[in-house]
Amino acid sequence: MIRVRGLSKEFGTRDNGGGVLALTDIDFEVHDNEFVTIIGPSGCGKTTLLRIIAGLIPYDHGEVAIDGRAITGPGPERAVVFQNFALMPWADVLANVTFGLEVRGTPPDECRDKARHLIKLVGLEGFEKRLPKELSGGMQQRVGLARALAVNPQILLMDEPFGALDEQTRRLLQEQLLRLWEGQRKTVVFVTHSMDEAVMLGDRVMLMTPRPGKVKEMIDVPLQRPRSPQVEKSGAFVEIKEYLWENLRAMQVGES
Amino acid sequence: MKQETVGKAAVKSSAAPTVARLPALRRFTRENAPEVLALLTGAALWEVLGWSLGLQWLPPFSKVMEALAQFVGSGVIRANVGSSLQGLIVGFSLALILGLLLGSLMGRYRYVQKALDVYVHALFVCPSIVFAPIFFAIFGLSDASRIAIIVVYSMFVIVINTATAIRTVDPSLVEMARSFGCRERQIFTRILLPASLPLVFAGIRLGMGRAVKGMINGEMLIAFVGLGALAQRYGAQFDATKVFAIAMVVLIIGLASNALVEMLDNRLTRWAG
Repeated sequence: MIRVRGLSKEFGTRDNGGGVLALTDIDFEVHDNEFVTIIGPSGCGKTTLLRIIAGLIPYDHGEVAIDGRAITGPGPERAVVFQNFALMPWADVLANVTFGLEVRGTPPDECRDKARHLIKLVGLEGFEKRLPKELSGGMQQRVGLARALAVNPQILLMDEPFGALDEQTRRLLQEQLLRLWEGQRKTVVFVTHSMDEAVMLGDRVMLMTPRPGKVKEMIDVPLQRPRSPQVEKSGAFVEIKEYLWENLRAMQVGES
Repeated sequence: MKQETVGKAAVKSSAAPTVARLPALRRFTRENAPEVLALLTGAALWEVLGWSLGLQWLPPFSKVMEALAQFVGSGVIRANVGSSLQGLIVGFSLALILGLLLGSLMGRYRYVQKALDVYVHALFVCPSIVFAPIFFAIFGLSDASRIAIIVVYSMFVIVINTATAIRTVDPSLVEMARSFGCRERQIFTRILLPASLPLVFAGIRLGMGRAVKGMINGEMLIAFVGLGALAQRYGAQFDATKVFAIAMVVLIIGLASNALVEMLDNRLTRWAG
């Protein structure tokens, strides 16, 4: 379980006290094997929050803990999927997927076997020897997903993973992610700016407000699992989406 | 999505064999025709101007080639080229090791960068030949003087390029590595080093060229051996034909060393192309 209590984060505190408060008073929990999506206008600190949970940046006040242990850095129980894929351009698909396993000291044979299995799982069989630049954006992010899953994390942290993709590709990847997750559940924290995506994927949607970033509301998504694309036509889906838009619109209307 | 990429690959692989099937000579002329043509034109022009102008400092191309053939035949060239190359290899290797080391540290650590940047740039901009008398005073007429000059000629461009290369590595790759628990050493060997290779090689190529310059300049000033010393001797005798013949040899060394680095570069950084 991920537990966040009274978290705050300030940027640029070193420059003559004029820091920017990115997050303040953040309280929430993510239960084991739960899929939580985080949505909010840009500048609400959702990516910062994810990076704190990943252990990539420090936080100033409060408590961020996994199963009761405070986070002090990255850990083997977590893996991150990045918005810009963060694939090594010099390494082929297989080497990119084995990266996490290798640096954690897994024997080469085991690395290869696990990686091949995951490459197959994300539908990239036959592309093992390709370089990232030879793949489409959607395929690159599937490599990113396979790399994260290869280390068998208990928690998957996804930072707008499909944000850089075109809509058709994004929807296909959402469906694939749902199938994978429903097949083997993990705790997922998924940052997005797409309302459809937030509702489609999440068990709960965390709505954030900007400047400073705060949790406005945790919204339950009472849609059945496994979810099919048809779920988008259901009343509950449309209702939650509209509720999100009302809120997000109100947050930004005064600013633009 | 899948099909599109497969299609692209098919086009690529069907194009490759046609190139490979061409006879070597035809392939060479097709790819290098402009270069070959330019060289032939240059030689012809040189020959014509040499004969028609009759200037003492511009002997015809054929005379230069004749002198070169004599040098090669008499064994003078072989001994001096050997001595020059020895200095070049030792000096450039040192410059490479020091350059990569210093450049990596400067690229990775802001404090090192801030502390050393002014020195590195000063030494890079400063004509390296001004150090020749100092090295002569320290090392005398030994190989160490020649080698030291080659090092100062070629090292700093490697330092600057390596530092820039390391500093401009995509930070999201470093973050990715950290997210998988990589320590500093792993980040360096698995991310920073391979990611910076294309730019590092650009620096190595420039450094190689400067090393050849340093080799000749050093030998002309403070050595009695090598091609530089030979050029210096014939220069003092106003023997332009022989000076040009030696220049030809230097040219070949320069082009060959550049080709060597380029070949290595193409092998190691094909992904960046």
